[in-house]
Amino acid sequence: MIELLAPAGDLEKLKIALMYGADAVFIGGQNFSLRARASNFTLEDIRTATSFAHEKGKRVYVTTNIIPHEDDLEGVKEYLKALESCEVDAIISASPYIIDMALEHTSLEIHLSTQQSTLNAETVNFWHNKGITRIVLARELDKYQIKTLVSKTNADIEVFIHGGMCMSYSGRCSLSNTMTDRDANRGGCAHSCRWIYELVEDGKSVSNQMFSMSSKDLSALEQIPYLIDAKVSSLKIEGRMKSLHYIATVVSTYRRLIDNYIQQSSIDDFKPYLTELQKAENRRASFGYLEGMPGIEQLLYDKKSEQPSQLFIGLVQDYDEENGTATIEQRNHFEIGQEIEIFNPNGSERSFILDNMTDEDGNPLDVARHPKQILKIKVPFKVETYAMLRKK
Amino acid sequence: MKILTTFYQLNHLENLSAYADGFLIGNDNFGTRLTHSFEIDEIVEALMITEKFNKELFLMANQMFTDEQLVYFEKWILKLPIEKFQGIIVTDLGALRVLEKLGQQKKVVYHPETLLTNAYDFNFLSSNNIQGAFVAKEITLSDVLSIGDQKKYQMFMVGHGHLNMFYSKRQLIDNFMVFTESENPYHNKQNMRLIEETRKEEPYPIFEDRAGTHVFRSQVSTSLKHLDELESAVDYLIIDTLFKDDHYAQSVLNLYHNRLYDNQLIEKIKTDYQEAWDEGFFYKKTVYKQKDKL
Repeated sequence: MIELLAPAGDLEKLKIALMYGADAVFIGGQNFSLRARASNFTLEDIRTATSFAHEKGKRVYVTTNIIPHEDDLEGVKEYLKALESCEVDAIISASPYIIDMALEHTSLEIHLSTQQSTLNAETVNFWHNKGITRIVLARELDKYQIKTLVSKTNADIEVFIHGGMCMSYSGRCSLSNTMTDRDANRGGCAHSCRWIYELVEDGKSVSNQMFSMSSKDLSALEQIPYLIDAKVSSLKIEGRMKSLHYIATVVSTYRRLIDNYIQQSSIDDFKPYLTELQKAENRRASFGYLEGMPGIEQLLYDKKSEQPSQLFIGLVQDYDEENGTATIEQRNHFEIGQEIEIFNPNGSERSFILDNMTDEDGNPLDVARHPKQILKIKVPFKVETYAMLRKK
Repeated sequence: MKILTTFYQLNHLENLSAYADGFLIGNDNFGTRLTHSFEIDEIVEALMITEKFNKELFLMANQMFTDEQLVYFEKWILKLPIEKFQGIIVTDLGALRVLEKLGQQKKVVYHPETLLTNAYDFNFLSSNNIQGAFVAKEITLSDVLSIGDQKKYQMFMVGHGHLNMFYSKRQLIDNFMVFTESENPYHNKQNMRLIEETRKEEPYPIFEDRAGTHVFRSQVSTSLKHLDELESAVDYLIIDTLFKDDHYAQSVLNLYHNRLYDNQLIEKIKTDYQEAWDEGFFYKKTVYKQKDKL
């Protein structure tokens, strides 16, 4: 069965990702992980995460994917052993040192990070022969190349299907190092490729338009059936820094697409899935390299980003069936009289007009103004814990 | 420590041989960021010239490869007298596997650009019996020396030139010209620069070739002041003359070969080629986990 793998920047996002349909999540620990600004997990958090996931028969992978310098190596072995004791299902690594320490001193499953930019079966098998279970491929392959590659290896193959795209081969970029002193391969990427540039020849501008090295995000909805048929092992959503609502919406959409394709062997219309994704997206998206070499339709030539079509306004904590009241945590401004959509972890959606809202103590409210405030609202149908409220 | 250089024209090899211990050559079907793409007959001629002057020749096969490209690479390299190269520089481990299959692993010099930043990772192919590896450009002089102390095979280092800092498979200049509805006369041109809006004093060389698009540091990185220290660590120091010419190679090689830290000569080169020099990352310790916003 193909795996849907989702990012999780904190414990709440991890729970949401798994509730909304991910088979596994990847998280960053506080050591040896990229995405330094993600709120990375302590060992205690990791233990909580694996316990929550394993109860649901799901898996947790921890990124240990920095490219370490000489003075970063201390403590690797101890940290890996600690991860093993937290019952982590796999680590995602790029450095031979970290990989070898894991192989020699733990029984952790190892996934090769995309930081190694693996593009061919020879390289996949090189790493697999060293004891690595799964290879996360570079993003620079089309779906046909991926299918051929899968047929030439016994390694599990993981493919990115959704999220941000590095413009450079991953791991081979030091723009950030040069321009900001922040090491992209040790969690400090400043996304310098997304800044504004002018292209000049012999000092003269070649255009009055600005040059772009910024890519649209990846969104591989229409390629999912092909990748499933190609026997890819895992489909990866990227974005440990993304919001709760983004994680829920994206995971839920791909979950339904994968399940529907497996049940029906075809997808007649991708539009409903696309419409759903657009409720969470705030960057324009395309299919990256999956249909061949990207052209201008895959690039962003200005800094405009599109707003999501719907706003996440609250998270359901509980539902009292006797009096039809949901207890929610407020996430964005909303008010009485608005049409609200309930988005359940099972992917179902239903709308109603809000006509009754109180604070925790039962005082009537017309407007929900305060982030994280606990509110009680009347909902004329049953809603699930962890369901999300969206303003239409 | 031997000094290698890139070059533009075969007929300059004799002059450059006065200062260089060897040369780097490649074809743009398999190599990238090349000063010039040489055809098979030219590469064979270069082998003859370097043999005549008792110099070494390294083949650049430093593209990232898909499975199809590896098949072409194998066919292509079999047309060359592999045994006559001193080494073959590869970036992709798939190319190493192809050369292992051909029994040529001892020719392999592994050059994964940014990845070999500590001694363990630098040595990780020692059991594959390769010739050596390039230490990453993005580490301090102290780390280079430390890795050199622990090396299990030969260490290569880019010692002079515009260090590349970005390698995209996309044809980004071509895309831009399509976007602006213009022709693209800039492919393979070495006079293109990128200017970031808040760093106008630092034009970054940008180069689009068959393998993709590359962006380089604005300053020329030099190790000239540190040759005595590097002697114990580095086996091959590379002078990369991309964006320059063979006269530049000769002028710079003179400094490195003779270990001349001659300000007058240096200033003349900087003026003639309108370039600034710095010491790259030798003393620039990049930040691990910077959390502050820009």
